[in-house]
Amino acid sequence: MSSAADATVARPVRSRIMRRALPYVLSLPALLVCIGILIPFFTAAYYSMMRFRLNLPMMKGFIWFDNYIAFLSDATFWHTVAVSLVYAGLTVGLELVLGLGIALLLQKPTRFNNAASILLLLPLMTAPALAALMWKLMTNPNFGILSYLVSLIGVTDFKWGSDPSTALFTVVLVDIWVYTPFMMILLLAGLRSLPQQPFEAAALDGVPRSFVFFRITLPMLMPYMITATLFRLLDSIQQFDIIYSMTQGGPGDTLLVFQVSAYLEFFQFTNVGRSAAILMVLWAITYFLSNIFIKQWLKLRERTRGHG
Amino acid sequence: MARLELRGITKSFKNGAVLDGVSLAADKGEIVVIFGPSGTGKTVLLRLIAGVHDPDRGSIFVDGEDMTDVGPDHRGIGMAFQNFALFPHMSAFDNIASPLAARHMAAGPIREGVERVARLLKIDHVLAHAPRELSNGQKQRTALARALVGSPKLLLLDDPLRNVDAKLRFEMRLELPPLLKQSGATVLYVTQDYKEAMALADRIAVLIGGHFVQVAPPEEIYRLPENIQVARLFGDPTINLIDVTPQASERGVSATIGNTAILIGEQYRAAVGRASLLGVRPEAIKIGPAAAGAIAADVVAVTPLNERLVTLLKTGDGHEILASQPSSERAVEADSQVGLQFAHDDILLFDKASGQRLKAVNGAGLS
Amino acid sequence: MEHVSPLERIVRGILIALVLVFFLFPIFWILLMSFQTNETILRIPPSLFFEPTIANYKALLTGRLETTAGNLDITFMRNLGNSVLLSTCAVLLSLLLGVPAAYAFARFRFRLGENIAFTLLSFRFAPPLLVLLPLSLYFKQLGLTDSYFGLVWVYQLICLPLILWIVRGYFEDISPDIEHAYRISGHSWLQTFTRIAIPLARPGIAAAGLLAFIFAWNNFVFALILASASKQPVTVGALAFVTASGIQYGQIAAAIVLSVTPTLLLALYAQRYLVEGLSLGAVKG
Repeated sequence: MSSAADATVARPVRSRIMRRALPYVLSLPALLVCIGILIPFFTAAYYSMMRFRLNLPMMKGFIWFDNYIAFLSDATFWHTVAVSLVYAGLTVGLELVLGLGIALLLQKPTRFNNAASILLLLPLMTAPALAALMWKLMTNPNFGILSYLVSLIGVTDFKWGSDPSTALFTVVLVDIWVYTPFMMILLLAGLRSLPQQPFEAAALDGVPRSFVFFRITLPMLMPYMITATLFRLLDSIQQFDIIYSMTQGGPGDTLLVFQVSAYLEFFQFTNVGRSAAILMVLWAITYFLSNIFIKQWLKLRERTRGHG
Repeated sequence: MARLELRGITKSFKNGAVLDGVSLAADKGEIVVIFGPSGTGKTVLLRLIAGVHDPDRGSIFVDGEDMTDVGPDHRGIGMAFQNFALFPHMSAFDNIASPLAARHMAAGPIREGVERVARLLKIDHVLAHAPRELSNGQKQRTALARALVGSPKLLLLDDPLRNVDAKLRFEMRLELPPLLKQSGATVLYVTQDYKEAMALADRIAVLIGGHFVQVAPPEEIYRLPENIQVARLFGDPTINLIDVTPQASERGVSATIGNTAILIGEQYRAAVGRASLLGVRPEAIKIGPAAAGAIAADVVAVTPLNERLVTLLKTGDGHEILASQPSSERAVEADSQVGLQFAHDDILLFDKASGQRLKAVNGAGLS
Repeated sequence: MEHVSPLERIVRGILIALVLVFFLFPIFWILLMSFQTNETILRIPPSLFFEPTIANYKALLTGRLETTAGNLDITFMRNLGNSVLLSTCAVLLSLLLGVPAAYAFARFRFRLGENIAFTLLSFRFAPPLLVLLPLSLYFKQLGLTDSYFGLVWVYQLICLPLILWIVRGYFEDISPDIEHAYRISGHSWLQTFTRIAIPLARPGIAAAGLLAFIFAWNNFVFALILASASKQPVTVGALAFVTASGIQYGQIAAAIVLSVTPTLLLALYAQRYLVEGLSLGAVKG
């Protein structure tokens, strides 16, 4: 039997260069996007070292790190740092506890539990900006259902987002509403993937439930918890959508977290230099955190992909 | 002109698998088995020939044409993989038809071609199934069918029977040679099983340390291994290798084992005084009563091994020797004293330092 | 078999019920509000039973609002259209660009690839304003301020990393030997990519695409800074809607419902892949 493709047909020779180039050609667009990110990034870094106000273009000048040094003695800057840290700490901490609790409640893969966990995803899938709007409507002093419910237990005139003393509480509440499902779903997946033997052995030995939880479940769940926490910390410290939609950073300067502050500096006060400097400080924090996170994330990915 | 020629193929990987100057020529219709311990680069070599990876150096010629820079889709090759590599989202029929479909053949001829090969490999009744519905044996036959259907010039089989159960492996070992010969392709077959290699090969190419240590017909590899490694790889139980230093005496050249001097023949005169290893295969050793001229040994243990009986013996000077005999013969008793004898022709002598077999070169010195 | 006491079961049930109420109530309530007239909304105490009206939706859909203060044009439907257009185009573009790149990262080890992957991942966690604020200045210079084109490109910053990190894992899961076998059968690299790699990675591509759509749709800050008034999606549009005067609360609720429904439906449809997508492939659902 002779083969159909005979030696008389010229064989296309692909050169080695073409084959070596293939991965680069394929990832060219991704590279372009990278460049599209890096150029503005370096521009922002550059601007952060300048005195640059859009409404006073003639005063534009290079001042090295003066913006940053000015921060050290600037009360508003430290207020921003404090609010951001408090916001991030409260939201992530509460979401972790709540998420873990809900995951434990729904641990058994029954049809009801599965349906419940799917429904619980819905808040996570709403745009945070729109979620803030929803809660704004619900906390409206005139017709908001929450204002009404709260008045039933005797707390009249609860100002929710419009009062400095309760604004933080309100936005944290919205954040918890949106993002707790994220924690829940990650921890639930983790819980359900834990090996059964240690638990079966503990049941056979008659080990008390609290012991099982603290000494067996929690340690095994730790990688998931750390990954989820870092993930959320990174997002929470940069929160913009919820706070801006709810109060635009107010009332006053109560909720001026990093990105909201930077946004207002840029668009309200047109102070590009200062705005960029605020963002660079935030970037440094997130860069540091994300390096820790990526290591954890890669470790977790290895583990659940079945070791490559 | 050889159908396949490899010249100086060199390839190194991060994990260390290295091919260093591999060369080979295979004729039309020949079955060459590439044999070697695991991790020595046999699979890598096959993939270089297939065109899936590029060698760092060296060239590949098919029918005199330089294929080194040609893509795998134009090399006229059929390949079957160890883990089958069937396309999971296509039926067995479409899997097998793939090489024909690539040539834009019409549906009719494709169907004929596929059914013909499927009948040959006895899977014509499962053609409509998806790969996950097939047994391992059927999957491997499908993979083979896919490799054969296009009547390739060159057939590369990467340990195809490895993941198939023992009984089926045995059946296929009988079916494969006539199938391969009938296809007329030049076959490169990779395996780690020496029995498989000996059963299938026209020639065996033993790959150790990144190059072919010996390329020869199975008989020759078994009876005249190039070095200790090759000798050890073939044969079960493994060949006996006994430390000796040949002496010259008025009777001729001899080696002393267990206080008995065995004549090993004039051709080994140049080995006198050199540390050597005397190799003799277990099946060549005859166990008899203790006698003059026979090596005295104590029987340590006797075990059945497949259809043979293996006896572990210990000589007076502490050498452990394995002897094997057909199980129809009577076994000796443990702890008894016996005498061992073996024929001249069954003796192999290896240089201890290099491991190379000392070959008798007529008249001239030894290699 | 675990022995769960009936008391524990009741407590568990109550807790789950409370949790479900907390997380689902707002959506439910806004849905209710969207069918209420202003009078019903302002009534105290608020009640579950009322006469529903579709006037709010009618006003949004037709773009006209008749109030006692006169007629008003509502451009909310344009925002909705913008969201659909921007999200769809962004996802399609990111799939077109990202799937081949994900394949390259999965199959080839090349340093540029590792660098690209790392940069895109680390900027997933960087403050978006850091990139957006300078971009807004560049957009003015490049004349991209009033265009969908510029927005769709910038949305790649959201969609592309997602595609890359999810789809890459699916490509890695395909045994390379299957692709080798297809090539040896006589097919070109491109045929192998389209007929073997992509079909076998289809679940991952679908998951990544759906998730990218949801994230693009829900995005707020990109559009806030870079979108001109006529190109704003619903996230920004709804906020503007609320702060504009003379708008009825029922319509705000209806606008929110219309804005949120697409992603909620998609999420329900694609929920199998959400865990994996949300953790960027670290955890399989």
